[in-house]
Amino acid sequence: MRSDEILKTVEMIQKENLDVRAVTMGISLLDCHRADVSRTCEAIVEKITRHAGKLVETCEAISTEYAVPVVNKRISVTPIAHVGAGFNADGFVEIARALDLAATKVGVDILGGFSADVANGITSGDNELFKAIPEALACTQKVCSSVNVGSTRSGINMDAVAMLGKVIKDLAERSADSGGFGAAKFVVFTNQPGDNPFMAGAVHGLDQNEVAINVGVSGPGVIARALERRIAKDGAENLGLHDLAEEIKETAFRVTRCGELIGRRVAAQLSIPFGVVDLSLAPTPNVGDSVGEIMKILGVDAIGAPGTTAIVAMLNDAVKKGGAFASQSVGGLSGAFIPVCEDRYLADAVKDGSLSIEKLEAMTSVCSVGLDMVAIPGSVDAATISAIIADEMAIGMINGKTTAVRVIPVPGKEAGEFVAFGGLFGESTIAQVRSVGKSTRFVNFGGKIPAPIHSLKN
Amino acid sequence: MSSSTVEYIISITSRDRIGIVYEISSALASLQGNIADSRQSVMCGYYTMILRAAFPAEVSQSEIEGKLAEVNANSDTALNILVNQVDDNLLNTVDPQNDYVLTASGADQVGFVARVSGFCMEHCINILDLSTTISDGEFIMMLEIDLSRCASIREVREALADFGREHGLKVVLQHNDIFKAVNEISLPIRSSRE
Repeated sequence: MRSDEILKTVEMIQKENLDVRAVTMGISLLDCHRADVSRTCEAIVEKITRHAGKLVETCEAISTEYAVPVVNKRISVTPIAHVGAGFNADGFVEIARALDLAATKVGVDILGGFSADVANGITSGDNELFKAIPEALACTQKVCSSVNVGSTRSGINMDAVAMLGKVIKDLAERSADSGGFGAAKFVVFTNQPGDNPFMAGAVHGLDQNEVAINVGVSGPGVIARALERRIAKDGAENLGLHDLAEEIKETAFRVTRCGELIGRRVAAQLSIPFGVVDLSLAPTPNVGDSVGEIMKILGVDAIGAPGTTAIVAMLNDAVKKGGAFASQSVGGLSGAFIPVCEDRYLADAVKDGSLSIEKLEAMTSVCSVGLDMVAIPGSVDAATISAIIADEMAIGMINGKTTAVRVIPVPGKEAGEFVAFGGLFGESTIAQVRSVGKSTRFVNFGGKIPAPIHSLKN
Repeated sequence: MSSSTVEYIISITSRDRIGIVYEISSALASLQGNIADSRQSVMCGYYTMILRAAFPAEVSQSEIEGKLAEVNANSDTALNILVNQVDDNLLNTVDPQNDYVLTASGADQVGFVARVSGFCMEHCINILDLSTTISDGEFIMMLEIDLSRCASIREVREALADFGREHGLKVVLQHNDIFKAVNEISLPIRSSRE
């Protein structure tokens, strides 16, 4: 091996924040339903601890061997609406407690899957789960919840969207003392994938193996440094965007390879099938680990300025091209994340006023995954939140891609004020929502936005 | 190679000039020597080559040495030539599972390489490949090492962290698989592990 390759690789891991962001074990809980809630809960705890008992120690051992950190170890489970169907809302809350207990027992950071898919309609089980979400997330530490309200095949279930606006408000108000953090554990999707390793939206889909290991890679810092080096070496005046796209592609290959290697080793060690590598660029609030920084390197002085959407489109596509070749099986969300609170440069752009919700929405039409970790004023009403969700879901439905909304209406705070959630959840200035209260009639119609036409693509 | 051949390791050092490889390889070929593997490097105008070659059993070591001495006699530059017969099977038996890369960097100082290699010796670490370079005023040493005689990777890491602190060096130990994974097309997943 050439010495420059060795040095480049060492640099990437040691100085540029290369890590495996998440190793997520997906576990099917479909066989855990029992005649009553308490026995169902016992079966859930037993199954999770049986499969995931060694997940954390195995990840740590392999991480030590390779000297590549595995930041989060997580579990995703079958959408609980399927497991708990037939129980009432209180029963669903008990199941959430059992999931929390199991997650604590095996030592994972977070568990996702307190979820339902209602794209085409709502069952009685889904309905009880909806009612249980606020209490379930308030009384647990590690459980995350998500609901899929739309799909390209089915359209958007606007009755569910209307209900979930209220759920988000309720979640935020119950956790008012922590800035409405409860809402950060809940996400609404269109075209939700069943193999996504990233939270809060991870579920173990109905079409998956009994158990699987899915891996989320990281590396915005690695890509930012690679671009800086390339520009310093060749000079900006000698480079076209195609050269920079190529640099991103090559770097994405390297980043993905680390995830693939470690994920497959973990899966082999645990004798569990390897699922997918999710290629998403996932930022953290740490210095030098930002997707927003990449946008600035690629030429906008203020994030959100004209050109930002084009940059994100190029970045997202180049990451996919490099990653797809690096991995045997790619899946999950696979794109660039733009979670405002979790990305220092994006949070600063909201503070400076250069980045608005409308521009974020435009960016999500060309990258994954949606309006993510956006703090909005606590005074924004439920119907307006539902309308924000509907807009984002429409982008996913029409473009045949995943989109999501994870907004946090921060109780008692207004646009321009500041909120901090701590750790990897980060902090941000609260973004302005324009025309609050002007969408109520639209949301009140309810019903469905019909499935889109699959030809005449313009 | 069939059993009727004997393998030799031959090393040559000289001032670099045009024609060294041609002269040496022609001399070996004239004795029916088959070159199986070779490496060469040029540093500050000095040339060095190490090669492995198999000769028919009837060709003796002194004949090979004599032939190469003729090359030296006709050469403008003095050639330092060493011929060693290989006793056993000279196969590289590196266990890929224990194949690691150690990089050590710090201020350029006398004894740098000795200190790092001393650490390796003390911990039963075999050095398979070694290269050094200077980057941004720092001396960097890269070693491919075999940890198969070490009790545990954790212990080596801890000892290495102490060693780095004690001598003011940045030391990084990583599995060779990582380097292969990010720099080569094929993923280094071995079937025995899957």
